[in-house]
Amino acid sequence: MRKQRRGQIRIIEAFLAVLIIFSSLAISASLTTEHKTVESSDLASVGLQTLTKLDSDGSLGAYIDNGDWSGLRETLSLLLPEGVIFNLTVYDDEMRQINTEAIANGELNGQEVASIKYVCVSQNPNFKCYVVQLRLAVVK
Amino acid sequence: MKRLERLAKAKSSGQLLIVAALAIAILIATTTAYVYEVSKEKPATTQSYPAADFILAIKQGTRNAVISALANASNGGEKTVLASNLNRLAQTYRSLNAYGLYYLSYTALNDSHYMDGVWLSWEDTDGLGVSSAYANFTLKFYGLTEKTMLSYTINITTAIRLEGYFTPNGSGKIVNLTCQVFNEGKPALAKNITVYYEVDGSWVPANSSNSLSITDYGNGVYAISFMTSADSGAVQVSVHVHDLRGIFVKANVTCNQF
Repeated sequence: MRKQRRGQIRIIEAFLAVLIIFSSLAISASLTTEHKTVESSDLASVGLQTLTKLDSDGSLGAYIDNGDWSGLRETLSLLLPEGVIFNLTVYDDEMRQINTEAIANGELNGQEVASIKYVCVSQNPNFKCYVVQLRLAVVK
Repeated sequence: MKRLERLAKAKSSGQLLIVAALAIAILIATTTAYVYEVSKEKPATTQSYPAADFILAIKQGTRNAVISALANASNGGEKTVLASNLNRLAQTYRSLNAYGLYYLSYTALNDSHYMDGVWLSWEDTDGLGVSSAYANFTLKFYGLTEKTMLSYTINITTAIRLEGYFTPNGSGKIVNLTCQVFNEGKPALAKNITVYYEVDGSWVPANSSNSLSITDYGNGVYAISFMTSADSGAVQVSVHVHDLRGIFVKANVTCNQF
């Protein structure tokens, strides 16, 4: 009877050992996955290319000149890759914020953030120069 | 005695298994954590894009500044506006300090056509009108790991080419024109077109009372026709165009009988 119980305990102990090893493997795997998400940050480059593209025909300057913040938000949502959160702030050349409403598609909370400063010159005959700060993060 | 020892050994071998498993687990976890920490990239709280991207953005900025200056100068502004715009832009880049230090300098072209980098040629009667701005730039970039010097030229030109003739229509004339619009030598669209014709030495706008018709072919070519009761002889026509960038240009042409 005692020998039989001892056998059962061995089995339970073996199960515990297997459980411990597998849980450590699972934790390690989850760490690696998180790393992959964070690593996707040539985001700054993507953001800068997006702003340059939008500025190539003067659209970026026109949105800002007209105060069309919702139009700018929608355009950025279309141009940036899916799963990217952005927050854009527009300053004049003396670094005073001029956008009167948020130009963002979500909250940047706790993610690793890529930040870009872009000088936008409007094609308007009255010279206007803006500093655009675009902050980007990948949705976790 | 031997039996007791064997019993104790047998009792503790399960605990040993758990301790060994724990040790292996800790080893796996610490190795993974170490590899993770070592290979983890630094937080991208500042710019981590290549300097080439930013240089492209600066070229884009200078191009827009030249367009803005030409739009201003061609709509009645001072030609010195180009220098003024570029000075402000260079100052903005100097104060930005993003990813490195940027020094932008420029030289506005001065030659037989250009003055302070701007050339407006509107008065010829050969049907060609040109509004152009030209400046050479030097960009010096001092990054954390690299130094770059780049020279480039920005030439913004809006031009129109007019050709036309008239056909007699009763006591009046029907004037037919073809207007081609170019941006930097490539076909471009116009934002608006205004047509004038000369009567007794002054320019009169052609409008609906002249049955003015402008057909946009969508490829930078516009067919224009209108009627005039002007007296016999050639008809002097002037076409004024704003392109989509707001740059103004005009051209004059003498229309003879077809």
